Amino acid sequence: MSRTTLTALLLTLPLTAQAQETLNFYNWSDYIAEDTIPGFQDETGTSVNYDVFDSNEVVEAKLLAGSTGYDLVVPSLEFMARQAQAGVFQEIDKSKLDNYGNLDPEIMRIIEANDPGNAFGIPWMMYSVGPGYDVAAVTERLGEDANLDSWSLVFDPANAEKLADCGIALLDSPSEITAAALNYLGLDPTSEDAGDLDQAMALLSEIRPHIRYFHSSQYINDLANGDICLAVGYSGDILQAKDRAAESGNGIEIRYVIPEEGALLGFDMLAIPADAPHPDAAYAFIDYFLRPEVTAAVSDAVFYANANKAATPLVSEEVRNDPGIYPPEATLTKMYSAKPHSARYDRSLTRAWTTLKTGR
Amino acid sequence: MRSPVALRIVVVAGFLFLYAPILSLVIYSFNESRLVTVWSGFSLKWYGELLSDPQIIGAAWISLKVAFLSASIATVLGTLAALVLVRGGRGRAVLGGLVTAPLVMPEVIIGLSLLLLFVAMEGLIGWPGGRGLLTIVIAHATFGAAFATVVIEARMVTLDRAVEDAAQDLGAGPLRVFFDVTLPALAPALVSAWLLAFTLSLDDVVIASFVAGPGSSTLPMVIFSKVRLGVSPEVNALATLVIVLVSCLVLIAAWVSARQRVPEA
Repeated sequence: MSRTTLTALLLTLPLTAQAQETLNFYNWSDYIAEDTIPGFQDETGTSVNYDVFDSNEVVEAKLLAGSTGYDLVVPSLEFMARQAQAGVFQEIDKSKLDNYGNLDPEIMRIIEANDPGNAFGIPWMMYSVGPGYDVAAVTERLGEDANLDSWSLVFDPANAEKLADCGIALLDSPSEITAAALNYLGLDPTSEDAGDLDQAMALLSEIRPHIRYFHSSQYINDLANGDICLAVGYSGDILQAKDRAAESGNGIEIRYVIPEEGALLGFDMLAIPADAPHPDAAYAFIDYFLRPEVTAAVSDAVFYANANKAATPLVSEEVRNDPGIYPPEATLTKMYSAKPHSARYDRSLTRAWTTLKTGR
Repeated sequence: MRSPVALRIVVVAGFLFLYAPILSLVIYSFNESRLVTVWSGFSLKWYGELLSDPQIIGAAWISLKVAFLSASIATVLGTLAALVLVRGGRGRAVLGGLVTAPLVMPEVIIGLSLLLLFVAMEGLIGWPGGRGLLTIVIAHATFGAAFATVVIEARMVTLDRAVEDAAQDLGAGPLRVFFDVTLPALAPALVSAWLLAFTLSLDDVVIASFVAGPGSSTLPMVIFSKVRLGVSPEVNALATLVIVLVSCLVLIAAWVSARQRVPEA
């Protein structure tokens, strides 16, 4: 222990070198409310090292190498599921969480597809993958009475063709886009059947000539600037674009919809690494986060829905009543979550996706 | 053959190529709008936001510490390596290859292998305990030393050994010779090696993101993670401050070396 203390003294600022309880928290960038961490620190006296990341892959490399030093990390659900199989995380002891009952059982059931028994993760925030568009540009091209609440906006080649000149962007994520295409075709979005995949790819290659690019983040600024008019992306990101366009006063109105056919529901999960140095602090933080008012403040700040049922009434109306953030009851039943793919399916999916992207 | 007009055009084009992007970055740091590419009026608000953002200020401070420490270590190691490479005996070719290998190795590989090394060392001898500032400094010193060696070696080759021999003839011991004769003659190379290692360390994001631990995110890591939501003008403001700082340092360095040259003449 003395060696650790010595290095800690050498390494850290005098501010954090105190022997008090510490929490090392590793989260996505721009994914928390301003007062979440200070509130926890004031209340418990725990000092928090808050670090941010931008890709599941870097986190995975660190977690698999072991002894990251982090007590709490927030990978996406599918990544967490795979890492849990590798023994990276410890099981959550729910008896240590007084506020566990606040979580929505319906949503926890959807998560169970990836995390059986909800053993390893507590949902931080949830998002959907759907179309976001520039209202004026799209109505101008498709007409007043076009159905803008449907995946046909993107997947109907006639629509895609009309929108090609103002720009369409798709996420560069084979599993998420293919799942949406399967769902639109009325097939099981988690299907690994080769015939189903062929059908989805046939649909996608029909609209391929009208797609400007495949990218997983560029569309945020492009939508806000009016450089593209339609993007299939993450709900939170598209709502950020909307916010940014409104703030800059450039007259562009962005709308995000969860289409009536349903969409993919994604989760980022709080998980405790098996070798976390301060697991007690991690439990204390999770329990603090599960308080309705704390969760609600994070949702208000980042425009993502949460799985905390008790928090919903405390979320601001602007966020809670936005059907793009909180799916209405009727749509919620049509939402689906991704399942980890078999390695074999992953290979054929990647191959089909590359063919699609390069247009060969 | 040489027309002064054509020459001037080439010079102007060259400077534009180098400085136009930096200039536009500086201009947009004074932009009112959140969108980096739309001008909507002059404002200093992003500088205000930057100074009240503890995450960025903390990361900038960590980056400067890491760069300072790793550049210093790299320069010392580079000097020793260069000494052996120029004056040493057998096995110099092998050592030369080994020392300069990080120059051509992809950063991802350096980062990942150092991460695995640190984890393994912690398991075996308990040091370094966890990942943090120390591991980033070690990693940066490793590849900084490769660059420093090349720079210092180039200078050392041109040194006249007769001067050192003369010093020894006059009764100076080997250490005295090294510190009083060799080192001053190497000084310009040491300064440029240090600056190069400092810049490279300040620049690096790949290696640092592998070997960083809790509470030790460097500035490039923080900026890079913000890119997902588009770069905010806060980053422009920060870059402008860094450019001002670096320009001042370069001017001071130039001034100091100009003054030093006078008595020599």
